[in-house]
Amino acid sequence: MRELWSIFSKGILLENPIFVLALSLCPALAVTSSVMTSLTMGLTVLFVITANNVSISIVKNFVNPKVRLPVYIVSIATIVTVSQLVLQAYFPLLYKALGIYLALVVVFAIILARAEVFASKNNVVRSFCDGLGMGAGFAIAMVIIGGIREIFGSGTFLGINIMPASYDAPLILILPAGAFILIGYLIGGVKIIVQRIEKAKA
Amino acid sequence: MSAGQHDESSNSILKIALNLAMACFVSGLIIAGVHFVTADAAAQKAEELKMDSMKALVQDVEKFEPVEGKEDWYKAVKDGKTIAYIVPSSSKGFEGHMQLLVAVTSDGTVLNYDIISHKETPGLGDKANEEPFKSQIIGKKADGLEVVKDPSDKEHVQAMTGATISSRAATTAVAKAVEEVVHFTGGK
Repeated sequence: MRELWSIFSKGILLENPIFVLALSLCPALAVTSSVMTSLTMGLTVLFVITANNVSISIVKNFVNPKVRLPVYIVSIATIVTVSQLVLQAYFPLLYKALGIYLALVVVFAIILARAEVFASKNNVVRSFCDGLGMGAGFAIAMVIIGGIREIFGSGTFLGINIMPASYDAPLILILPAGAFILIGYLIGGVKIIVQRIEKAKA
Repeated sequence: MSAGQHDESSNSILKIALNLAMACFVSGLIIAGVHFVTADAAAQKAEELKMDSMKALVQDVEKFEPVEGKEDWYKAVKDGKTIAYIVPSSSKGFEGHMQLLVAVTSDGTVLNYDIISHKETPGLGDKANEEPFKSQIIGKKADGLEVVKDPSDKEHVQAMTGATISSRAATTAVAKAVEEVVHFTGGK
């Protein structure tokens, strides 16, 4: 149990996909201009990465190592397509909100990386925990970036005005370049925290 | 891995190709199976959603009827009279196409519009489907549908800060729809 917890929790801080592994920075730039879109994207990734980790750890013994990467991509694409079809048929409103994000998820580096690094070498339960932890870490990072960008870039939080009317929002935070600069600072901040934790351990 | 190096045949190109082909085949089967189950429900939901989005555009309406001779055009009918035309329109946005559904009265006044699909910047360009930008377009006729950057000009549409191209794209698409309706009805 303890081991499973450490597999789960490492995705949140010590191996956070965005802040430490620096994978999947593209969505962290492109869809984090508001909290809502960041959260939606984060939860979508959480679902796909967990489902994919589980399915890869089930089929890993049948896959020839030379074609493992194409097979992983096929697996991710299958999961995404099936979720799209199901959402479209039974939850069209959710599909309308998630549609563009789901299609993008297929090419996210973090999902492929977890399949290759973790799920292909571990059993189903461990892979499930890894997917959950990495997905949660990704979602949390997205919401942090989205929150900062929305509060300071548009003066709103979840669409509600929170800044005084005189607040002149810097446009650069809403644009991808601002996100890049912000992520740089956040990575620096997380590095300091991680180093402190490791020092305390040693 | 080590077993594969001793056994030549397990790494032959045919075996590798077959392995990948099998994976794709299984994936295809799964997707086809899910599609078979969900296709009908999806088509039905899409139709309902379309009706809902049209209802959101035109209030107090009895029914929507397809317009003859015009693909995807609908007229909103109330008490036997046509109160508005609902017309699909599109234009080129900041990134890719922007598709709209525009409700226009027969004399060419914009009743409402809805951007159904777009690729505009989230947080900037996608505000073209929200207030306060939206209410600038509603109620205007063809001559007012032009984007300006002069805040004192109330006759025309104010561009959204940082999203002039998206503002222009939405306005152009609406103007196109108005023009088509006026052409169709003769402006009456």
